[in-house]
Amino acid sequence: MAVQLSDEHRMIQAMVREFATRELLPIAADLDQHSRFPREALKRAAELGLMGMTVPEDYGGAGMEPLAYVVAQEELARACAGFQTIVSVNNSLVCEPILRWGSEAQKQQYLPDLASGRKLGCYCLTEPSAGSDAMSLRTTAVLRDGEWRLSGTKIFVTNGAEADLCLVYARSEPEPGARGLSAYLVEKSFPGASVGKIEKKLGIRCSSTTEIVLDDCRVPEGNLLGERGAGGRIALATLDGGRIGIAAQALGITRACLEASAEYVQQRRQFGRPIGEFQAVRWALADMATRLEAARLLTHRAAAMRGQGLPCTREAAMAKLFASETAMWAAHKAVQLFGGYGYTQDYPVERYFRDAKIAEIYEGTSEIQRLVISRHLPARS
Amino acid sequence: MDVVVCLKQVVDPELPVRDFAVDPGTQRQVREGRPLVISTYDENALEVALQLKDASGAKVKVLTLGPQAAVGDAIRLALAMGADEAIVVDDPRAPELSGAEKARMLAAAIRRIGHADLVLTGCESADWVERVVAPLLAEDLDAACVTFVSRVESGDGAPVVRRLVEDGCHLVEVRLPAVLSVTSDESNRPRLPKVKDIMAAKRKPVHTWSPADLTCSSAGDPGAGVEVRGVVVPERTSRCEFLSGDPAEQVAALAQRLRDQKLL
Amino acid sequence: MPDILVVATAPDGKLSRSSLELVAGAHAISGPLGLGVTALLLGTGPGLADAPQVLHHHGVARVLRVDHPLLTAGESDAYLRAIEKAARAERPEIVLVSADTMGRDIAARLAWRLGAALVTECFELAAGDGAVVARRQVYGGRAVATMAVTRRPAVFSIKPRSLDVPAPAPVPGTVEDLAVEMDPGDLPTRVRQVLREQSDVGLEDAQVVVGGGRGMGGPDGFAQLGELASVLGGAVGASRPPADSGWVPLSWQVGQTGKTIRPALYVAVGISGATQHVAGVSGSRVIVAINRDPEAPIFSVAHLGIVADYREIVPPLIAKIKELKGL
Repeated sequence: MAVQLSDEHRMIQAMVREFATRELLPIAADLDQHSRFPREALKRAAELGLMGMTVPEDYGGAGMEPLAYVVAQEELARACAGFQTIVSVNNSLVCEPILRWGSEAQKQQYLPDLASGRKLGCYCLTEPSAGSDAMSLRTTAVLRDGEWRLSGTKIFVTNGAEADLCLVYARSEPEPGARGLSAYLVEKSFPGASVGKIEKKLGIRCSSTTEIVLDDCRVPEGNLLGERGAGGRIALATLDGGRIGIAAQALGITRACLEASAEYVQQRRQFGRPIGEFQAVRWALADMATRLEAARLLTHRAAAMRGQGLPCTREAAMAKLFASETAMWAAHKAVQLFGGYGYTQDYPVERYFRDAKIAEIYEGTSEIQRLVISRHLPARS
Repeated sequence: MDVVVCLKQVVDPELPVRDFAVDPGTQRQVREGRPLVISTYDENALEVALQLKDASGAKVKVLTLGPQAAVGDAIRLALAMGADEAIVVDDPRAPELSGAEKARMLAAAIRRIGHADLVLTGCESADWVERVVAPLLAEDLDAACVTFVSRVESGDGAPVVRRLVEDGCHLVEVRLPAVLSVTSDESNRPRLPKVKDIMAAKRKPVHTWSPADLTCSSAGDPGAGVEVRGVVVPERTSRCEFLSGDPAEQVAALAQRLRDQKLL
Repeated sequence: MPDILVVATAPDGKLSRSSLELVAGAHAISGPLGLGVTALLLGTGPGLADAPQVLHHHGVARVLRVDHPLLTAGESDAYLRAIEKAARAERPEIVLVSADTMGRDIAARLAWRLGAALVTECFELAAGDGAVVARRQVYGGRAVATMAVTRRPAVFSIKPRSLDVPAPAPVPGTVEDLAVEMDPGDLPTRVRQVLREQSDVGLEDAQVVVGGGRGMGGPDGFAQLGELASVLGGAVGASRPPADSGWVPLSWQVGQTGKTIRPALYVAVGISGATQHVAGVSGSRVIVAINRDPEAPIFSVAHLGIVADYREIVPPLIAKIKELKGL
């Protein structure tokens, strides 16, 4: 099933591409070099509607459907994967769950600020002892005197340092595993919430990755998201959407590798001719292009299904798995095509290589994706 | 204030050289299969109009001449950027018409629209580059004219425009109605349309008229008696000599060539 | 005798260079068409006393002079009124106007008012079989259109610096002063202020120009280009994207919309050459292009090309030139 982009999709794609070219390409290397948070560029992205892309216009969002979102994300990631990570977490992992499970009051309170860029969101699930086994997390939530008290430590929180609003999962019920969890909207300003360690990372360095420490953090009762005990379901369903966003990120990185490589191999001359004339090099580009198309088709399919309200856990996992592994493969190939120059910071491919790796890890490692896919395989083929 | 912006859709001027070809039959560039974009400076004209809308609530209409099928993207983008409505004069001959013929039809369309305090066009079209549409529109509409404007400063009283010249600019006070042709500068970089505006664009009105709906003036016909004898891509008499080797070798070779040509 | 009317201007009292270029155009066609040449000299101030002599010196015998206080720099509507009045009285067959700032405002409007045929932005004028044949650049300089005009009257605007100033050919000449009645209230546009940009070297007169394009990536690289221009004894220019992005002053812009230049050497750095930029520089004697993209259109007009990142070429080039020049 081929997915057609509508005129609106193409216009959005053109606009985001132009934004990325004007605002992100000139600063991407510098942002990575200095691990600098792209505050100015985020403000402009927010003005264009990119911080709450799928949030309905009633709540100040752009009202885009998932396919348009994915197209936009690919354009951002192609220019700067780190920037796109910041944007994608705000959209997929904070706005989306509030939209789906939030009360009207919660939507009114938080969505307009998140969509307009006035506030930034982050997603707090992982803990030191709960990574792939997220549902075993130990942060506690106790209801006392009309308030929730949350205690525990969250790690690897994207946007942790700059976020105003944290979506935090904690154990509120006696049941072990997923059924004991609830989701909470925790404002950074609530007493007992603080930013802990800030990680120094291999890639996507302009986005902050931090600990969020909850020390008897006081959360109003009205900030429980969804029902008590629904936290596990909310977390997993949210990650489905997040995975499509990561797949889009991987598409952007892969395309950046392909475009950089295609240009370079025409300029670089060895043995009296551009290396792009050698068959091994041509084949490498052909493979890169083919795998990119395949990854894009998977990603667009998952996005289209999500837009139609169809269950797409399997398709989202396939897209994320294939696209992220393709990005890593493409970046690896790109550095090789550039040779010694690819290993230096004069060219962007070493950054693509470092950025690509995270796509195979976060929002569910490739191993977890394979588990998810295998659970959705038919009993008989 | 009512502003009309004239937009033209042209084959992307940034097209690679190998995709550029002239059709000897029409004496014009081959359009088939080539991407179309809004003519470069028309976007700046639209930006100037939208800045007037932001500053003082001007109503902005965009007007274009062209085969209906071809102009959709340009119109949609203009509406997404913030224009209030669009008028398309559906004329399949449009790509072959001269600037003078187009100006006549645009003037007729503007008269049919009714009221326009300001008409903005790009200073030149990216393809035929005659720079005549704005001045001819001004004559046809009995309006004032300033070309190569970068900015309109409207305040109380008559608007003042900034006209760019070779070594600086002039501030020119203009009596309305006026036709301005717009050139690019830092202040009028075309804005990116917001996502919600891209989605909203399809709800904005687009009127389609046929040439038969227009009453063109019969005065002045600067295009008559002008024949296009040929449009040719000039033969390149010299081929580019590429200097090869590593940067040090290339630099040495270049310096030597410049010395040989007595340019050092 | 039916005539070619050359619109000559003398802002600040000195006859403009483009006026003499128009004279060259007039001479090119007057013989074959059997027409005389008259200059219409417009301006204000003391310089207008001497300007007719310059025209006589270049072979134009008859000069009509309009001296009016409203004919100051940029006052297009005043010029248009004056030219229109003179043209209605003289009824020339052909009118030549420079396609400069003022010409862009008025040439087409003049044609309309006189009921004349119109060809603008010409870089060459010739005559044959009773027709005036003009050539103009189209499609961003990628092609040349040949236009033939048989109808009269006809107005042509000529791009500045396309025609060469003619060699002196002195003739005994006359000057007739033409009175034109005009009040400020008659003019729909009025110049309120003239703002001149500071620029050190006349880009249009430099023998060497180093131009930077979008490939410079930002304003910083232009410092290097400045140094290169300096050791070559020239000036720095730019294509449209750097000017539009504010990396360089607008007065540095070279191209169909900026300045047209014809230096002996033009070095295009990080310029794709895809648009009207090439039209503004293609008259240069030697064009050197430095660009990372081997398919960049600039290479189709360059004489010498280097496919490389400018950052790897420009600094060593500066050093090499210094070495060769003993600097």
